[in-house]
Amino acid sequence: MNEDLISKKDLLELAGISYGQLYRWKRKDLIPEEWFVRKSTFTGQETFFPKDKILERINKIQTMKENLSLDELADMFSPNLTDLTLEKDELIKRNIVSSDVIHFYLENDKGDLQFDLTRMLEVFILEKLLQSGDISLEEGKMLMQVLKDNTGLIKQKSCELVMVRKLGISTCLLLVNAEAAHFENGTKVIAQLSLLTCMEEIRAKLL
Amino acid sequence: MEPKNSGDLTINGFGASNGGQFTNVILNGKGTVNSDIECDNFESNGTGSVKGNLHSKTAKISGNGKITGNIESSMLSIEGRGKIENNAIVNRLKVSGNTSIGGNLKCEEMKVKGRITVGGNCETDLFKGECYFSIGGLLNADRVDVKLFGECSAQEIGGQTIVVRQKTSIMANLFKPFFQTFLETDLIEGDHIEIESTKAKIVRGNNIKIGPNCKIGLVEYSGTFTQDKSAIVDESRKI
Repeated sequence: MNEDLISKKDLLELAGISYGQLYRWKRKDLIPEEWFVRKSTFTGQETFFPKDKILERINKIQTMKENLSLDELADMFSPNLTDLTLEKDELIKRNIVSSDVIHFYLENDKGDLQFDLTRMLEVFILEKLLQSGDISLEEGKMLMQVLKDNTGLIKQKSCELVMVRKLGISTCLLLVNAEAAHFENGTKVIAQLSLLTCMEEIRAKLL
Repeated sequence: MEPKNSGDLTINGFGASNGGQFTNVILNGKGTVNSDIECDNFESNGTGSVKGNLHSKTAKISGNGKITGNIESSMLSIEGRGKIENNAIVNRLKVSGNTSIGGNLKCEEMKVKGRITVGGNCETDLFKGECYFSIGGLLNADRVDVKLFGECSAQEIGGQTIVVRQKTSIMANLFKPFFQTFLETDLIEGDHIEIESTKAKIVRGNNIKIGPNCKIGLVEYSGTFTQDKSAIVDESRKI
């Protein structure tokens, strides 16, 4: 517990929200239960929150709540992949993926034009790595295969995607709940991405 | 859940069933369902029990009903005595009589006349009652509007508007020496708070009105604060 904590009182003042709103958001699961940290102080029990996380979350809720209902917002923040689906064009419009990459993805995937979050994640990672020039199209296909084969894993665990290359031969792996990975000398790590972080980035763009 | 083509389950008198999917489930008399049940309408009259989870659109328990698992229903009405040993997720809850929920209760609107016991947290948009209540965890509601009928308790109460009144009637005055009506809680937090007959360690909010028979440790307010003459407030601060 070395995070910066903020007391409920200070939070309400800083964010300019009322008790009613805070409790309502808690009730609608917009703020996770584990962020409510109880501590004893000289006035009795007080509730504290991890400062950065809660301020960011409140900021998001406040900017988003005009367009979305609280229930829709709750879906956005839930850690599970929800049943949100978007059209191909919508993805391009929301700046999640460029049209070149999505065409490449669809050529290989041959799926329909509706994207659920799993597919969004795949296409988003592809976009990231292809656009940065880190991987080639051929490697992109390999990447897609790995992600598709392990869809179940990605949903539940904290996953990291690693791409390495040695002597021009590249490979791609998924680290599940791993702390660190070490490679042979001369191996070049082309990319290392946390899928959770990617997920959050997508969510941020959807918001 | 596709119970559309499934039939009805009716037990009249003394009987047991193994559960499953139905359109209507009616237990009259002493009916027992031995496992999970999914249905559109559930009705129990007499002594009905479900040894498992109940998932239905509407549920009505009259008499003495017991569900050993969770209940999920958009409408639940309990007249008489209901016991749910685990969590309850309900849109509208109506209680006349005595209800106990072992786990957490989550609903949108609850109206209680009588007595309700919740083991865990109670989260609802509207909590309206003329009742005894006892909540093991947090009572979290947009609007709490209760008339106290006996010894009520909750660990914490949080919400937007919290109004707690004492029931006043000739009967209540008559029984006053025997029954103490008050609410006991550690913490009340809300934007607008009006309380009577309440014992609390801390009350925090914008506009706070402390009515008669209150005993409060600390009041913190940012807007207005009024206090009845007979109320005891150890300390009050404007923040």
